[in-house]
Amino acid sequence: MIRSLRLTCEDTNPLISELMDHDLPWKKRWRLKLHLMICGVCNIYKRQLEIIHALARKLGHEEAPSQKEAVLSKQAKTKIKDTLKQSS
Amino acid sequence: MSEALNSDLWVDQYGDMLYRYTLVRVKNPDAAEEIVQVTLLAALQSKQSFQGRSTEKSWLFGILKHKIMDHFRELKTRRTYELTPEDGSDPLENAYQSDGHWANAPKNWDTDPHKAVENKELVAAMAQCMDRLSEKFRNIFVLKEIEGLTSEEICKELNIKPTNLWVILHRARNQLRKCLETHNWDTKK
Repeated sequence: MIRSLRLTCEDTNPLISELMDHDLPWKKRWRLKLHLMICGVCNIYKRQLEIIHALARKLGHEEAPSQKEAVLSKQAKTKIKDTLKQSS
Repeated sequence: MSEALNSDLWVDQYGDMLYRYTLVRVKNPDAAEEIVQVTLLAALQSKQSFQGRSTEKSWLFGILKHKIMDHFRELKTRRTYELTPEDGSDPLENAYQSDGHWANAPKNWDTDPHKAVENKELVAAMAQCMDRLSEKFRNIFVLKEIEGLTSEEICKELNIKPTNLWVILHRARNQLRKCLETHNWDTKK
């Protein structure tokens, strides 16, 4: 009975990810919380996913400094300018 | 028409900015270029609707966001977003012992979300790792984590089942974790 209530790390990890995407039924949420109270490694895993989430948000920000310093090529700019001129 | 609007200068002034914003989301440079062009064309055609309530820049970004979403929707007509055998297995498959405990425990990255986003090496590593995801996984991850769409919105837009969405996101995150662990970014930066 106790074994069936306890989640293993393997059971827990998809739930950590899922909780970032949608709400979980209270029973699952509670069991997950319980596991995280006693398992340091799964807390490290959870922290990693939170870091990945934060990094993604940072990369997607309008003002994010681009790591590649990507720019439109000269040809691309000329092409777009021509297209705009033709349609105006 | 507002005097602030000058489509001739748009390309020089905002082109690179719009392009970078798009490239993070769609990865393919040709597609990103195309989306910027379509955005500026749409802006030109709806110049009258620009009331000056927002800045020209935020108005253009508003149009761009719609065009990026159109791009993702359009992809749906050419490929399935459901999970298929070609998507491979879960990177965590061999990470556990038979009793369900970790066999290959995740490393402590010695940072937190606030510090991590200030670490340029780590942000750059994340950009590279995202580009190593398959197109399907990358698109879904982008919609969830960058665009901030809800699970329901993604399932509706891309015609996928919620359980498949969760599996894809879980696997994408694990692939990113694995990839980030192979990069030598300095946690102290």
